Amino acid sequence: MRLSGAYKEKRLLSLNKFLKSSWRRILLSLTLLCALALLLWPARTLRSDNFVFYFPNSRHVVPLEVIENTKYLPFLQVLNLVGTLSGLTEKRNNLKVGFGKTHIELHAGDARIRLDKKTMILSAPVRVWNGKWMVPSDFLTTILPRLTGQDVEYQVGTNRVFLGDVKPGSFTVHMEPVNNGARLTFQFTDKVTVRTESANGKWVMFLGDHPIQPLEQSFHFQNAYVSDVRFDDQDGTPKLVITPSAGGLNFYPTLAEGGKVLRADVLKPPPPPSQTPAPSAPSPSTASAPPAPSSGVAQAGPAAPLGPPLPVVVLDAGHGGDDTGAKSRDGVTEKNLVAVLVARVRQALLVTGKFRVVLTRTGDVNVSFEQRVVTANQAGAIYFLTFHAGDLGGNSPRVAVYTFQSPGEAIASPESGVRPIFVPWSQVQEAHLDQSLQLARTLQQEFAVIAGVTADLPTQAPVRTLRSVNAPAVAIEIGSLSPDNDATPLTDAAFQLQLASVVAEALSALHGGGA
Amino acid sequence: MSRRAKLLWVALLLVFAGSLFYLRSLARRIFFEPPPHSDESAKARLNEAALQSDAGPNETAIVYFPSLNTRMLVAETRPIKWAPAEADRVRQVLLALAEGPSQRLGHPLAASTNVRAVFLTQEGTAYVDLSADLLSGIYPGIESESLAVYSIVNSITVNVRSVKRVKILIQGQEVDTLEGHADLTEAIFPDPTLVQGSP
Repeated sequence: MRLSGAYKEKRLLSLNKFLKSSWRRILLSLTLLCALALLLWPARTLRSDNFVFYFPNSRHVVPLEVIENTKYLPFLQVLNLVGTLSGLTEKRNNLKVGFGKTHIELHAGDARIRLDKKTMILSAPVRVWNGKWMVPSDFLTTILPRLTGQDVEYQVGTNRVFLGDVKPGSFTVHMEPVNNGARLTFQFTDKVTVRTESANGKWVMFLGDHPIQPLEQSFHFQNAYVSDVRFDDQDGTPKLVITPSAGGLNFYPTLAEGGKVLRADVLKPPPPPSQTPAPSAPSPSTASAPPAPSSGVAQAGPAAPLGPPLPVVVLDAGHGGDDTGAKSRDGVTEKNLVAVLVARVRQALLVTGKFRVVLTRTGDVNVSFEQRVVTANQAGAIYFLTFHAGDLGGNSPRVAVYTFQSPGEAIASPESGVRPIFVPWSQVQEAHLDQSLQLARTLQQEFAVIAGVTADLPTQAPVRTLRSVNAPAVAIEIGSLSPDNDATPLTDAAFQLQLASVVAEALSALHGGGA
Repeated sequence: MSRRAKLLWVALLLVFAGSLFYLRSLARRIFFEPPPHSDESAKARLNEAALQSDAGPNETAIVYFPSLNTRMLVAETRPIKWAPAEADRVRQVLLALAEGPSQRLGHPLAASTNVRAVFLTQEGTAYVDLSADLLSGIYPGIESESLAVYSIVNSITVNVRSVKRVKILIQGQEVDTLEGHADLTEAIFPDPTLVQGSP
């Protein structure tokens, strides 16, 4: 007992001595522990990015926060960009703002925002983050147009918004093999100027001042020259960042057709002069590869197969530009509603990682029926979905899926059973009607599961956009969007997100099932 | 300025403002407002067409109206004196459609729609040229436009047997669609399966 008591005493004394003598060490250890805890703490903010606001004569970069997978914007900073505050009262969990003649009230942790006497619901709650009032990005489409009274164009999933009369351009990318390399061809809708820089082993092409809304944010390739092309305007300057597949490649950009076409050749450097006599001994691979150049490329063989690795789904947002389509009692237009819906479906499809998505229109532009179809057929779509909103009778929300019905006489099946070599442009879709019906049925079954949504059985209709699509194709109409109804059930973010996720699930299931 | 002169000026200003307002409303009535058409005027034009036909016993016309609730066409009958010429019969059917349904159904043609011209070909195609007022009766949408188109086509082909298909023109022009959805680029064959109660 005595021994044990002495031992304890000795231990306490040594501990006391240690504490007194090395308090600095303990402090240091605590600091390190805190730093480690902070580092390993589950991050609510996954990343910080920028959001670019394009105005007719200026652009502004606003930092955004991604909190629990939702993009948030600083509320007061956005309001200051688009107008002037006429009053501000901030309490602990409550903010009241006067903006022009509108009185706005929001509460931290609440998804509802009061605009005068009307209550709007956002997709996620308002937050106070680092002392700033933050609102989810769907604020841009649900509330901002009402506050500013001007057009606000924002596609879900992107980090840019166009206000007022800003008409963004867009571009398509095409890659083809050339001797000793690959050629990227960018076709722009508006003229661009190009300045090229090289940074961190990548090529950066600055595209001038005109705002650009790309069809896709990035394009991935599987070949020996370019691995991906990414559009970036995070600092307010539109540019393309090209990542080569390997080091030591040369890059030769040239503008053509008055600045609307940009060709960029990515080439292997020419062989050193000492190797030039080598062709005297032709290699078998050169002989078996006719497109290969005659100079020393035997070691490389023919260009690696190019092209996107994933199947393409083409999404078509109906109408656009001065063709507004249907209009609701509260002023929501079909062109804007389906553009938002298509952006959500696009995002849901990209998240699956199973598809590339091509849009027939980006921005508020009127694209002709033929151009929409050309986009789909050139992209080699495996599915084509055109989105509309219109008068579907009383119930809302309601979803109807249509396959194409030929307004003319159905093609008489040839007696011999042999398919014709040439199919009239107006009858291309008729060869895909069975697959289109299968697609429509799958979608309808998925829509029927959504609570509170009436999903009608698929029917045929002479939908103009579907006529010449060379792929399984359906039209999806949501309703009712008519002067007799408010569009609130259709503009509800929860409804749109659910619809988008259901479309993505249906296509994934169909594609995975080898349809 | 005397008080009387002031009053005179005020009176003159009021008269001037009043006459400006009157002139503005007059100009709007003359240049911008469409001529008043209503269900009554459609009915009057239908009666006129029937009277002009001056022949034929009392018969029954079948006209189809869209029902968005059932996504089908609903048949209604109308007593009619058919005109001898088939093109005029097509016109009569269209006017009966413009007159509107007796039940709570959709209007495929606005009451103010004018049938500008009707041509029939030997192959059985009816070219019907309608005024742009047609569009004012239809809310845009795939369902609403498709049903409107087929209510026109089915109504014509069921009553005028020599007509096999209908090509719709608007203001004398070929158009791609009605309001961005239903394909009007070709002559359209009837779709009897859309009629409610069809087998």
